[in-house]
Amino acid sequence: MLALLLAASDGDPNPLNVDLAPAITALIVFGLVCLVFFTKVWPAIGKGLDDRQAKIRQEIEAAEQAQAEARASMDRQQEELAKARAEANEMISQAKADAEASAQDLRDRAQKELNELRENASREIRAAKEAAITELHAESAALATAIASRILQREINAQDQQSLIDESLRELETVRNG
Amino acid sequence: MHLIAFGDNPLGHVVDKAIIGGENPIFVDTASATPYLTMHMVSLVVAGLIFIMLMLYVGKRIATGRETEGNDRYLTTGRFAQMIEVIILYMRDTAIHPVLGDENTKKYLPFLMALFFFILTCNVIGLIPMMDVQYLGSGIMGSELEWAFFGGTATSNLAVTAALAAICFIVIQVHAFRELGIKGWLGHLTGGAPLYMLPIMLPVELMGMLIKPSALAVRLFANMVAGHTLMAMLALFGKMAYGGLGVGGLLGISAISIVSAVAIGFLELFVAFLQAFIFMFLTTVFISQMSHHHEDHHEEFEEGLTEYSEVPAT
Repeated sequence: MLALLLAASDGDPNPLNVDLAPAITALIVFGLVCLVFFTKVWPAIGKGLDDRQAKIRQEIEAAEQAQAEARASMDRQQEELAKARAEANEMISQAKADAEASAQDLRDRAQKELNELRENASREIRAAKEAAITELHAESAALATAIASRILQREINAQDQQSLIDESLRELETVRNG
Repeated sequence: MHLIAFGDNPLGHVVDKAIIGGENPIFVDTASATPYLTMHMVSLVVAGLIFIMLMLYVGKRIATGRETEGNDRYLTTGRFAQMIEVIILYMRDTAIHPVLGDENTKKYLPFLMALFFFILTCNVIGLIPMMDVQYLGSGIMGSELEWAFFGGTATSNLAVTAALAAICFIVIQVHAFRELGIKGWLGHLTGGAPLYMLPIMLPVELMGMLIKPSALAVRLFANMVAGHTLMAMLALFGKMAYGGLGVGGLLGISAISIVSAVAIGFLELFVAFLQAFIFMFLTTVFISQMSHHHEDHHEEFEEGLTEYSEVPAT
């Protein structure tokens, strides 16, 4: 390269030759380019980039806010869900306790009724027994009276007497069983 | 590449050519000591027009649309506009803002973007062989005059890159005066050294002030010249082989040189972007060096280094 540049000094084309005209042209052209760029192009580009940046920032902030709200809402929902679960568990426990209490109450009442029934039955049996004994006494008395009247109506021997007694006993037995 | 018109010197493809005025203008009658109209001047104007048209188009595509469009009004439509937007955002967020900070980024971003895209437009236009197409056209039409009015890379002209660097120099110094004031600006020239060091520091800092934009100009110019010279050199191999070995040599060597030129063409495209970025980014750095918070950045940078150095080696 250096050799070429040095060789060029003998009248050959030399890139190190500096003319004023291209320099002035460069100044004017770049000046005009800057003028158009600063007044027509950059305001549009700058505003476009700024607007987009502002929009993106705004959207990000809105998204972050929405995310925070969603997170808060989710936390609230989870809190409410936990509360609802606790209430449900409490209600279930209460219901179980109530059911057990009801069952116990029912059992108690049933037991009470059973006892009452049993007592009533015992009482009735006792009454029936007493009535039966009373009736038996009455029947025995009637029977004794009948036997006595028969004895009085005829003379009986020892064998008759024995048969009367057996017969009376059988009747008594029949009355008691009946 | 119209190498025949410029002999065997590949630099003939790179240097500016006079159209009106100058030593060997296309319009021979207008020959004079200094050129009035050159090919790079036309290229600059064409690059400026293309830049303005494309940027107006991009501006319209990136701008916020009407409210009736809903959320779509915030979207950039069109792939070209999207690509430009991505480049702008990338450079703003990763290169300019970390160096300049909020306030100065807002202030200088339009200038820096104009600078970057204008240089890029000039660099990319230079990759299109417009000059060669015109020479070919003049040959096909049987014109006695080999004419081409437009083509070449304007940024391979030292005068053009120097003019752009001069604009950057003015911007940097105006920024320094506004930001630091006369006293601060003079204080900056001493570099914080004691007064007895002033005779040394002052010339060094003044030279540095001029060398920085000069380096911008030379770097861009040298890269553009080197790339195009290399391309021209590769193309010349075919001609040289034809001269020495005939048609067989032309075919054999051309095959290699064309493949190489295509590969270098891709490299040139990368260099076109890279040099535009470097020019813009170094201007950004020079502006930041003339800012109040330059020292703060320096301290932050050093703190950053300390933090990194504290990371245990694994």
